[in-house]
Amino acid sequence: MIALGVAFLVLAGVAAAVFGPAAPLGEVIYHLAPPFLNTLQAGVQRRLAPWLWDDVLLPVLLAPNWVPFAVIGALLIALGYARRRGRRR
Amino acid sequence: MLIRTRRGWEIPESRVTPEAVMANRRAVLGLAAATIGGAAATAARPALAQPQGAAVPPLPPAMRNTRYRVERPITPEREVTTFNNYYEFGSHKGISGAAQRLPMRPWTVKVDGMVEQPHEFGIDDLIAAMPIEERVYRLRCVEAWSAVVPWTGFPLSALLDRVRPLGSARYVRFETAAIPGVMPGLRQSWYPWPYIEGCTIEEAANELTFMVVGAYGKPVPPQNGGPLRIHFPWKYGFKSGKSLVRITLTDRRPKSFWETIQGNEYGFWANVNPEVPHPRWSQATERVLGTNERIPTQIFNGYGEFVAHLYTNMPNERLWA
Repeated sequence: MIALGVAFLVLAGVAAAVFGPAAPLGEVIYHLAPPFLNTLQAGVQRRLAPWLWDDVLLPVLLAPNWVPFAVIGALLIALGYARRRGRRR
Repeated sequence: MLIRTRRGWEIPESRVTPEAVMANRRAVLGLAAATIGGAAATAARPALAQPQGAAVPPLPPAMRNTRYRVERPITPEREVTTFNNYYEFGSHKGISGAAQRLPMRPWTVKVDGMVEQPHEFGIDDLIAAMPIEERVYRLRCVEAWSAVVPWTGFPLSALLDRVRPLGSARYVRFETAAIPGVMPGLRQSWYPWPYIEGCTIEEAANELTFMVVGAYGKPVPPQNGGPLRIHFPWKYGFKSGKSLVRITLTDRRPKSFWETIQGNEYGFWANVNPEVPHPRWSQATERVLGTNERIPTQIFNGYGEFVAHLYTNMPNERLWA
């Protein structure tokens, strides 16, 4: 889990270096696959709930591209250390 | 011997509703609407809320143009005004409440580009200057649903006559309003806002091409494209840009919003054709709003006799998607 967390941190660094640290995640995804977000938004808002897109997914997509990867990486590393400590006890 | 082929929009005279019956029906409906409306007005129904901005004046009287007839009943107003695609306000059908934030007045539309007399029109001045009429048109969405709507407006050709296109103008570009504080969809900055649509100068000059300022005898509400939209009844609905702020005549083919995002599914021409499926669904039939009945789709949405000639000898164009 710690290794996976480190991989996400590396991914965050790569994304920031390639696309620029300020570019939103959504912009990066749109750049890579233009129709994807539109299809995803339609699916989420029409089949699940409009607020799920507006209040949950959109804030993530509006964040700088490296932030979600860094947050996931940091969480995985923290969880990994917590599990390791638990086993020692 | 004269052999007469019935046109797509024609219905037998025997099926025309007598005027007296129609008038009486309207009176009954009006009374019912007034009674129910009074109780409902206080309920929290954002879809029926008044748009922001200055008050929208009523439309001038508009006679129905009976040249354009539809064989199906008019779709109930509530269905048409509460089931909408307007991506600036969201990707779901229930955007009518959010769309009420669009300030409908003051509103101007600029007509520029390759014209002799570019002009920026105030919407009310434009309505006063144009030959206003009502037309009942079919509306066919690319998502395979449809409606029949009594639109109020004027032919685009009447507006073009005012600004006098230059001979070099080949296309018309339609630009929708983009107001970040009002339209939450614009937060998705990666999309190619503003919403752009376009047509050829021949399509613009076609008698069917209609600038819409009203629906069901009232100013067209924002979720349906108020205060001013274009309507091409023979094309899929996404071609008919809403809430227009600029119309530009140009010699370059405009690249539309959807063409930029997903050009293989939503192209420039987008003429209705039941035999050409969307990449992800059939276009052979359509679900009628209000009844949920599924009916066969007609080529050019039933308007072929008016527009088919526009598309002859175009073998290299993807006319149907």
